Amino acid sequence: MTKIELVLTNAAGLHARPAAQFVQKASSYASKVTLLAGTKTADAKSILAIMGLGLGQGTKIELTADGPDETACLAGLQALVESNFGEG
Amino acid sequence: MVGIVVVSHSAKVAEGICELAGQMAAPGQKIIAAGGIADGGIGTDAFKIQAAIEEANTGDGVLVMVDLGSAVMSAELAIDMLVDELKDRVAIADAPILEGTVAAVVDASIGQPLVSVAATAAGARELRKR
Amino acid sequence: MANINAAIEALAQAIIANKEMLTDLDSAIGDADHGINMARGFEAVRAKIAAANPGDDVGAVLKLIGMTLISTVGGASGPLYGTAFLRAAGAAQGKTTVDVEIAAKMLEAAIGGIKDRGKAVRGEKTMLDALEPAYDAFTQGMAEGQSLPACLALATAAAAKGVEYTKTIIATKGRASYLGERSIGHQDPGATSSYILLATLTDFAKANV
Repeated sequence: MTKIELVLTNAAGLHARPAAQFVQKASSYASKVTLLAGTKTADAKSILAIMGLGLGQGTKIELTADGPDETACLAGLQALVESNFGEG
Repeated sequence: MVGIVVVSHSAKVAEGICELAGQMAAPGQKIIAAGGIADGGIGTDAFKIQAAIEEANTGDGVLVMVDLGSAVMSAELAIDMLVDELKDRVAIADAPILEGTVAAVVDASIGQPLVSVAATAAGARELRKR
Repeated sequence: MANINAAIEALAQAIIANKEMLTDLDSAIGDADHGINMARGFEAVRAKIAAANPGDDVGAVLKLIGMTLISTVGGASGPLYGTAFLRAAGAAQGKTTVDVEIAAKMLEAAIGGIKDRGKAVRGEKTMLDALEPAYDAFTQGMAEGQSLPACLALATAAAAKGVEYTKTIIATKGRASYLGERSIGHQDPGATSSYILLATLTDFAKANV
């Protein structure tokens, strides 16, 4: 199991298109991935769970990955978040 | 990828939902609007829906999103009019039309089968906003 | 029937003339568009029949009507009446005249179509509460050897009773069912439009057969 802390810096936060990209990226790995924001947790591979969190710009999130590709998984998600989901 | 058809009594609503969901779609994802009746008025048209289903199918089946009441009946009539092989691979989602479509598109975009896409769409019934 | 096209024209006129009444009924226990939807559908039917000129094959005419209603009515009556006409078309395929036996088969097929599409049965405050009693009365008249106009008249009378009956029961199908107990006391718009269609056919048959 590996953990990483990130901050959502993109304008939209984890809504709509960024949420979809996040879920699509997480789903491309075999590891189980959980997102923790404050006291709320969600399965990072579930679009509904992620959209339901309603996380905005500036939110701190903790990602936990558990599985054979957990390191690559978190690296991939980190790259996505830090690139502002391609929003620049 | 499972194709998505959006059936609304309003053509504008169907197109708007397709536009929104398209933001989250993978390249090649079929999201087809089938709203309103022939003259552009409010209502649903089973022939329009049938054509949309045929267009949305790329071999993995189709999930049909519906808004209210008679949209379900029109969708069922449309499905009855499909060829047998396609008929078995089409489902009508039991989900709120906008949120369900968005959820379904994301699931379809990662290559999930129809049964999963339909279940994901239905999960949108529980989505809280506040 | 003397001329199927004249019969269809009569049906269209009757529905269009009753557009407001049907809409008012639908305002009480529906979404206030039954009359508007049906009138739009039958206006389109009129235009389609005039343009296509399908000739004397009753089945072909009914099929065209069914397809037109499906695309133009908009609400639940589109698939319901559309399927009814398509099924009736099957029973009248290739026929240029309609006798009592064919009419009975057409009505039976139409009702079957409505039940399949709408998944309703008698007693749920729908058009079936006019059409099923109408069919029973029609076949009763047929068994007694009565003429087509006479059987239609019996069917229409039974449909009228059915419409009255819908006032007394609760809706368990369609938009009216959302009203629950408040739907009692109001007559069903679909049963009413079915009655209008039968009554118009009866008058036409009396004048032309």
